[in-house]
Amino acid sequence: MNYETIVIGAGLSGMMAALGRAERGERVMVLAKGHGSTHWAAGCLDLLAEAEDPLGAINQLVQAKPAHPYALAGVAALEQALTRVRGVGEAAGYPLVGNAGRNLLMPTALGALRPTAFVPATMVNGEARQLGDGRPTLIVGLHELRDFFPPLIAANLRAQGYPAEGVYLELPPVERSHDFSPVVVARLFERPAFRAAIGRQLAVLVRKGGYARVGLPAVLGLYNAVEVVRELQALTGALIFEIPTLPTSVPGMRLFQAFEQALTKAGGRIQIGGWVLRGEGSGSHLHAVFSEAASREQRHMARRWVLATGGIMGGGLRAEHTGVVNETALGLPVRTPSGRSDWFQARFLDEAGHPVFRAGIAVDAQLRPLDAADQIVYTNVAVVGSALADCDPIREGCLEGIALATGFAAGQL
Amino acid sequence: MDHIELSLTQSLDHCIKCNICTSACPVAAVTDAFPGPKYVGPQAQRFRHEGQPVPDASVDYCSGCRVCNQVCPTGVKIAELNARARAQIVAERGLPFRNWLVARAGLVGRMSCGPHAPLLNFGLRLAPARWAVEKVIGIHRKAPLPASSTYTFRAWFRKHRAPTTARRQVAFFHGCATNFYEPHVGKAAIAVLEHNGFEVLLPKQQCCGLPLISNGDFKAATSAHEANVQALVSYARQGIPIVGTSTSCTLTLKEEAPEILALHSEDVQAVAAGTYDIFEFLRSLAERGELKTDFRPIERHLPYHQPCQYRAHRLGSPAMDVLSLIPGLVLEESHAECCGIAGTYGLKQEKYQIGMDVGAKLFAMVKRSGSDLALCDSETCRWQITHGTGVASKHPIEILAEAYGLEL
Ligand SMILES: Cc1cc2nc3c(=O)[nH]c(=O)nc-3n(C[C@H](O)[C@H](O)[C@H](O)COP(=O)(O)OP(=O)(O)OC[C@H]3O[C@@H](n4cnc5c(N)ncnc54)[C@H](O)[C@@H]3O)c2cc1C
Ligand code: SF4
Ligand code: SF4
Ligand code: SF4
Repeated sequence: MNYETIVIGAGLSGMMAALGRAERGERVMVLAKGHGSTHWAAGCLDLLAEAEDPLGAINQLVQAKPAHPYALAGVAALEQALTRVRGVGEAAGYPLVGNAGRNLLMPTALGALRPTAFVPATMVNGEARQLGDGRPTLIVGLHELRDFFPPLIAANLRAQGYPAEGVYLELPPVERSHDFSPVVVARLFERPAFRAAIGRQLAVLVRKGGYARVGLPAVLGLYNAVEVVRELQALTGALIFEIPTLPTSVPGMRLFQAFEQALTKAGGRIQIGGWVLRGEGSGSHLHAVFSEAASREQRHMARRWVLATGGIMGGGLRAEHTGVVNETALGLPVRTPSGRSDWFQARFLDEAGHPVFRAGIAVDAQLRPLDAADQIVYTNVAVVGSALADCDPIREGCLEGIALATGFAAGQL
Repeated sequence: MDHIELSLTQSLDHCIKCNICTSACPVAAVTDAFPGPKYVGPQAQRFRHEGQPVPDASVDYCSGCRVCNQVCPTGVKIAELNARARAQIVAERGLPFRNWLVARAGLVGRMSCGPHAPLLNFGLRLAPARWAVEKVIGIHRKAPLPASSTYTFRAWFRKHRAPTTARRQVAFFHGCATNFYEPHVGKAAIAVLEHNGFEVLLPKQQCCGLPLISNGDFKAATSAHEANVQALVSYARQGIPIVGTSTSCTLTLKEEAPEILALHSEDVQAVAAGTYDIFEFLRSLAERGELKTDFRPIERHLPYHQPCQYRAHRLGSPAMDVLSLIPGLVLEESHAECCGIAGTYGLKQEKYQIGMDVGAKLFAMVKRSGSDLALCDSETCRWQITHGTGVASKHPIEILAEAYGLEL
């Protein structure tokens, strides 16, 4: 049908942009090939990793790098986006806590400490400054849950000076005997009897070991994790926290659900499974996009478009072995290091990062895509998130920050 | 290797092992008899080679709902891989009689439809009869079997007098369900199309073959599809849209049969390109401003479930889009992955409970709505919804006909 805005991509930046436009009263649809980075990222909000005070460092960064997505969106957009995303979490009963002025240090599934600015309330008790209060921490897991090894996590925490031990719990009786992915275990935690049985085991361990807090894999329910944490704390008398797992990411799914709820409430629609193949425009106006569908393409019409298809991981950019990087949905020009030989540094782990990771779409101050001569390609398209050029979001540790800031900006333009 | 096989094989290499598909699969969520799409799809496929024994039969628990395809971030064609793998199992081990039977919706419909239907329906409602059916052929005693109609849609259509003012033509594909079990759905569709100025033609047709495909009987499915293509291609070539009310029939004509059975003659392609689900068709009229909007208000709040087979058309939600034009009508989307029946899947003795568990989310939503009516575009889903909730169900086209105030 006819939409005022169609957003291509259902990751954080796309959902943020769609929500903004829907809340301004527009008819909005999100069109996406599949689920995005929310489902494999940790479900925390990284603003800038290598800084104790991310907001302060971003204020400097936007002066030094005027083409960086943060500079284009503006620091004010970032701050408003953070307020809005926290409101989205709050409304879904899933608060995000933290501070843009001070990074938290959160344990990973390897027991390393990772800086991030905001985490769900279910994780915050694992913050390193708490782990370092001299009281011991217990890390627990289940043998059945793959890729989460409590003894390894605890050993790595100890190596960094945090007293910790790691043990496996007994899986309470369930009808399932194999295939315990994070989501399967999260569904088990939805059951009161299951988490009560886990709670009883934890209570015994906490009493015997005198632990101040217990870290579990981030699988404490898909829909009511805050409640599960509260319940386990009441049962054990210890603080409970979640540690992100390997994909599929349960905290990321919760964040997506929170956005889905907010967008639906604001009247927006979501079409997952719609793979945009091309756009059709005249001059610098994009009229329609076409998505893959059974036996013929589906045509979508809108007045305004937001491209939020992500970088290489999200599928928005595709690096060909022939030495070009393509933008996959609309065929927009991509800023890439000139030849394939310039894509990489000589050293695999070079600290400066590989130039190809900065490839992306160049945009103007209103996030409109530019060609090689800095001319606007489409005046009614805004590009947001990891598809943007002039940043290396994984290395800079700002994936969520630029997604939210640019998504928010596109929602208000 | 045909080009589709090639694209399936190549799509394996796009898998990044994120497990998003497995997390979304409604069957893997309720049973560990099925390890999930990543394992039976892109992973097991590496071990499937011509002339070698089937590595793992658990793929038979895939219901074919295609939720995995929709959520996969890299476009792996998981459901198609699974369908072909199941066919390989059937080719090797043969088709159980029960699957042979449920795959023949048309045959069963023909035998049970007509004036004797009430008698048969009554018999099938008796517990001992259903017990025998379960023991002998493996259809679960509680599974929702449709009630046969006392007349067929085609018989009604022959006597139907069309208005003489039509400006354009469409060809109607009714499928087995509308013909033998629910002629009223077809009547509503004809009324809506005629109201919008179309002359409706009724081509010769037979079962689209979907139940044969999903039970792995590719040989019979191929001859069904070839016969339909022969009957429909002249309409497609004249530019007369082929429109159907059964989302699974239209999906089969558009894509399932050509892709899964590897049929891609020009005629097959022409029929695929010329086939539309009814609400897809009506939505495209609305987008061009050609759909009549002389609706009477319907002040109702109704739960709506978009069948997985409709989402598999990858068109968004055409019925929601069109019904949103009716003043007063508020639809609440189910957001449930699947009703659990998946065509003939949930009829089977060993899969009935899985189907009911898969449908639990949808049933809870329908019951919570407090409505005495639910809407859904697919016949088998409607029967399952009513079976799981006791709430009556209709095809959205029936509500549209009502909003137009059409006599049926
Ligand atoms: C989620 C996951 C978990 C795993 N866990 C384990 C484990 O626990 N234990 C274990 O032993 N193994 C594991 N593996 C498997 C292991 O990672 C792989 O077997 C191994 O990485 C293969 O190495 P490779 O160098 O052959 O290929 P890859 O690491 O796959 O590298 C192939 C490279 O070729 C590039 N390429 C492909 N086509 C082209 C082209 N046309 N032009 C240019 N470049 C191209 C790709 O981009 C890539 O860089 C796991 C794999 C995954 C995905
Ligand atoms: S969702 Fe797609 S990419 Fe991810 S594991 Fe499944 S098939 Fe592979
Ligand atoms: S088609 Fe449905 S049942 Fe089969 S693997 Fe995919 S999601 Fe699961
Ligand atoms: S999908 Fe359609 S034609 Fe095919 S069996 Fe079902 S009703 Fe019959």
